[in-house]
Formats: sequence, structure tokens, C-alpha cells
Amino acid sequence: MRKMRKIGAVAAATAALVVLAGCSTAAPEDEGGQDITLWLMGGDTPDALRDYLKTEYADATGGTLTIEEQDWADALAKLTTALPDAENTPDVTEIGNTWSPTFTTVGAFTDITDLMPELGGDDLLPSFVEAGAVDGANYAVPYYFGSRYIFYRKDLWSAAGLPVPTTLEEFNTSAAALRTDGQSGFYIGGEDWRNGISWIFANGGELAVKNGDTWESSLSDPSTIAGLQQLQALYTSASLAPVNEADSTPWVNINDNEATGAPEAATIIAPGWARWSIGDLAPDPEDSTKTVATWNPDKFGVFVLPGVDGGVAPVFAGGSNIAISAASKNQEASKELLKIIFSEEYQTMLGENGLGPANLQYADALGDDEFATALIDSAADSKLTPAAPGWAAVEGSGLLEEFFGKVNGGGDIEALAAEYDEKITALLNG
Amino acid sequence: MHTMRRSRVPYLLLVPAVAILLLGMGYPLIWQIITSLQEYGLAQQFGQPAPFVGVDNYVTLAANPQLWLVVGKSLAFCVLTAAITMVIGVGLALLMTGVTKTARLILQIALLLAWAMPVVAAMTIWIWLFDRRRGVINYLLDMIPGVEMNRFDWLASPVTFLLVASIIVVWMSVPFVAFSVYAGLTQVSDEVLEAASLDGASGWQRFWGIIAPMIRPVLSIVLLLQLIWDLRVFTQIKMLQDAGSASGDYDLLGTYIYKLGTSSQDFGAASAVSILVLAITVALSWFYIRSLLREDAA
Repeated sequence: MRKMRKIGAVAAATAALVVLAGCSTAAPEDEGGQDITLWLMGGDTPDALRDYLKTEYADATGGTLTIEEQDWADALAKLTTALPDAENTPDVTEIGNTWSPTFTTVGAFTDITDLMPELGGDDLLPSFVEAGAVDGANYAVPYYFGSRYIFYRKDLWSAAGLPVPTTLEEFNTSAAALRTDGQSGFYIGGEDWRNGISWIFANGGELAVKNGDTWESSLSDPSTIAGLQQLQALYTSASLAPVNEADSTPWVNINDNEATGAPEAATIIAPGWARWSIGDLAPDPEDSTKTVATWNPDKFGVFVLPGVDGGVAPVFAGGSNIAISAASKNQEASKELLKIIFSEEYQTMLGENGLGPANLQYADALGDDEFATALIDSAADSKLTPAAPGWAAVEGSGLLEEFFGKVNGGGDIEALAAEYDEKITALLNG
Repeated sequence: MHTMRRSRVPYLLLVPAVAILLLGMGYPLIWQIITSLQEYGLAQQFGQPAPFVGVDNYVTLAANPQLWLVVGKSLAFCVLTAAITMVIGVGLALLMTGVTKTARLILQIALLLAWAMPVVAAMTIWIWLFDRRRGVINYLLDMIPGVEMNRFDWLASPVTFLLVASIIVVWMSVPFVAFSVYAGLTQVSDEVLEAASLDGASGWQRFWGIIAPMIRPVLSIVLLLQLIWDLRVFTQIKMLQDAGSASGDYDLLGTYIYKLGTSSQDFGAASAVSILVLAITVALSWFYIRSLLREDAA
């Protein structure tokens, strides 16, 4: 009997816990605020901006904003499984700009056309707005942009007597000249297609084109082939990066290596926010296990990747969109968060941190230093990947990494292009 | 009447277990079979109706040489890895019976720690060990005169990639094999072994002639479990891919299905491959189940 009573007590305690747990999820609604979740991709949004959003959201609605950071590598899988599920979906999510067409087409996001004037309307970055719109209705809107440009070692380039290049060919030649056994002239991973496509775009090539109603992969297009040949030659002659390295953290290579005192790369291509990781390294006074980089303008410099005939090469328009999940139960509260994100104050904060603000009216916030100039110049001609419904599946499949890796590994470009055209076209139309 | 009632009880007692199995495993299995017969992509994930396409998914997959390459690689990987695990595991179990109590305790604690280590934590360390730039493995190998391993990229070719994966999986599974087999060994009576050695049987003969047949049930179930686990290996491969390359050459069945389903959003085809893996698993287990049935009948 005594044993039975004990079990009864345990059962009662368990039941009480369950009831209490139920209460705690219901409580915030009584206080009038709605708790919402925001997914941010990777660490691009600095902590100060995250704190700002949380404080402003609490002030505006009385609810709590939870920010969950998702790793870029697994983000696609997580969005695919979480967004349709009302119980698990983030209310608002950042999404890679190139994935926007796919998710918008299947109806993952809430129609926010009515809200557009309040968010900035025609001042929002047009190519990103377009990537998140279907049939004239807006679903995903730009969050920030950050085109890629070149970071280089001024000391090494000038020691070799090389000026800042004005054409793409000059860049390729100089990069090859700077390569030694222990140093890449230009560090680019073999599978790094996001940076590699600049050579395709610069030569007038495309990854895919729309033929009537259907998308077709266009790797075999003569202009695309020309770009790939240049890239293959450049990778072979100038880069020591592994052929299986994809989009990585190249800035570790341009800083002086702690062990050898010399950099492993004379030149890299990276998004603008890489500047915070580039410079002279010194131990972090607050945390001895880390180092901080201080930009040294005598040693480091930036320039925009030059085009085939001079000017600016079209680079990959990096950046993100942001959207409200259609399955979210907190539609109104989510709209409040969007209003905060598109406020003048937050847009200015994005710019001050080197992230291109979605609302171009506040692009001045980027400043007028060399980074801001390079960002604005490279963004002017930047290009997005094809807005095909199946584009996210193409990225998820890893086919582009595979293709670029095989090309840079010394493969037969035309045969590979034909092979991967077939594989990619099969996915492009959703 | 009395015998009737008694014969019903065992079946009644089976009901909860069977119900839980049906609920927990039957539902996903049935869902998977249905999905594998449908066109199920991102649009269906977001609520569009999923049209039935018969065995289209299977036909497309059967014609895809890449799938068969992955199946071949996975089978080779699982057989080799399971075999190496068994050899090392049985070796360690025999060692445990042979050493002093203190040595055995140290060995057991070490094995237990390796077994209890969370996969993600262990993988992080392994990836550091094999790191191209600063890995301990390259550093140590490089110190051997004549061996040039500085900056050797273990994850750059599928062969060395799978070799690293295999080493890690073996490391993670050896403790289970060693403990199970050791438990089996404690049941082998000393008298029999003593008698055999008096008759002049060598250590090798005693193992193959007496120990192995006596612990055969343990060996076969442990081997079967290893084969199944190594066929379905996912986390280790995925994390190595995150550290190296995620391109198709580095896929085994687990990552292949993941890529097909959650990343390229073709859940129909991914389900079809999962069913194929299930079929391979059943085929692998079939020999074991048949021998079990035979023993029962005998």
C-alpha cells in the first residue's frame, strides 16, 4: 500500500508539472504581448543590432522576441521542414536572396503588399524585391545586401611592382605572378561557385536562362564556357586553396599567419563585413584565447573586381531577404517586427556596420571610406542567381559545388558543362 | 478451461509492445511507402495535393548510375568497417579476460568513456585531429623521416575521406562490441578450456574450436547490429562533409537521402531510396533471422 501511495504522489507531481508548463506558455498573452521568433542566418547581423531588435520589439508590443541563429549550411533543410509547420515555424525569417523565388512560389510566406509603403516602398533594393515577388504581390523583402570585392596585401603587390588592376585579365595575370610555393596569389576554393561565377558574369555568361516558360541551365553557353576557362586557369595558376573548398573564410589566409609571420594569400575576394576580421592581429584584451584584427591601411587595401574591358565586373549580389512565415500564428506581431527592421534607425545601424541597408535612401550610412565605396561600386553591377522556382533545390543538391570543383580540378569544361546542364535543368523548374 | 486461459495470457501481454511498435514504427513506415509512390516536392510540403505516380520514383532511381555507385560504396564501407570493428572488439574482449583486474578496469573505463562521448563532440575533436593545417595527425606523420604529410588534405579525396570516416566509426563502435563479447566470454566455462589445453590445443585452436562456437550467438547479433548501424551511418559523414566537401563523391546512403529530400526537396525520391535501404537491411538480417528460427525449431 505504501508503495502505491508513493506512485500516486509521483503521478500527482507530474500532473502538476504538466499543468504548470501549460500555464507558462499561455502567460504572455495575458500580459498583452505576443512572443515571436526570428531566424537569422549565420553571424552576419552583429549583436548590437540583435539587442536593438529585442528591446524595440518589447517596447512596441510588450512581447518577447527570440532570435535563433541558423547555420547557412543547414538553413535550407531547416526552412523546408519548419516553415510549413504552424507549431515549429519561425514567425519571421531571414532567407538567402537566391532562395526567395523558390519559397515565395510555393506559398511559404505571407503577402505583405499592403505593408510595402510603410517598409520603404520604391526605395527598397529593386532586384531583391523582385526575387521575393510573384505576380505583382510582395512576399519577401530585402534585408541587407553585401556584394563581394577584393581585399589585397598592398605590401606584397607593391613589392612585386604590381599596380591595382584595371581589367580582369590584368587581375588574373597579377594574381598568378604573386603565387609562390607557400602563398596563393589569389585564394579561391575549387568548389567556391559563389565567387567563381563572377568570371562567368564578367564574360557575359549566365547560369540559367528562361526559354519561354521553362528554365534551362546554360553552362554550355559559349560565354559561360569562356568564363569557366578563365576561372580554371586562374585557380590553377594562382590559388593554393583545396579543390574541395567551397565558400569559406578566406580572411584567415590574408592575415599574417601566427606561426610563420607571413600571409598565405596575397589577395582574396570576400563580402564587405570581412574587414572586421582583416588586419594586424593582437591578443584580445578581454579574452586571451582570441585575437582581434586591426585594419592597417599601409598593409591592406580593397578594390572592386575589374571587368573584361575595364570598369566593374558583375559579382554575386550577396545578401538576404526577410519574410513572414505564412504558417505563423502571430501575423500582426510579425508585421510589427518588420516595421522595426525597416525603420530609419535600424536601417542606419545596418549601414554603419557595413551591411548594405535594404532601403537605399539610407545607403549614406555606409559612410564614404574605401569599404563603402567598394561596396557601393560592386553592388551597382552585381547580379543575382536565376529566379527559377527550383533554384533552391539546385543549391541544396550541391551540384554547383561539384561542377566548379571538377572544373577547377582540371576537368574537361565542355563535357562537364553538358553533363551538369542536364542534371541542373532537371531541378530548375521546381 | 484452465489450459485455454493460460494460453491466452502471453498474447495479451504482447499487445502493448506490438501496439507501441505499430504506432512508433508503423506510421512512419507507411507514410514513407506512400510518399515513395507520390510526386512529393516543396509545393506538396506547403500543402498542395500530392499526385500518385506509381513506381515512377523507383524507375527513375533504378536508371540513375549515381545511386548504384552510392549503394556500392555504402555496402563496401559498412562491411569493411563492421569487420574491422569486430576484429578489434573481439581482440579487446579477449585482452580483458587475460589481464589483471586493475588493467581490465582501466581498459573498461577507457572504452566506456569513448562509448559515452556524444557524437558531435567526438566528431569535432576528430576533425581537428585530421585538420589540414594544424592537425595532430599530419604533425606526427610529418615527423617520420621520409614522410611528407605537411598540409595533406585527408578530406580531399573520397578514398581518404571514407578512410577517416571508417576510423572514426570503428573508434565509436568498438566499445559496444568489446563489452558484449566480453560478457559472452565470461560464460565460457574455464573447465572446458583447461581440458582443451591439457589435450594440447594452442591458443588459436582454443579460440576457433571452443570459444568462437560457444559465443556464436553473441558474435552474430553484434555483427548484424554493426552492419546495420554502419549502413545507416549519417552524422559522422555529414560532419566530415561540413568540414570538407559536400559534393556527391563523398556521399553514402544516409547523406544521399538527406540531400535528395531535405536539401533538394524531392521527398518522393528520397522516400524511395529509404525503402531501398530498408530492403537491404532486411536482406542483411535475413540470414540471422533464418538461423534463429532454425535454432528455435531444433
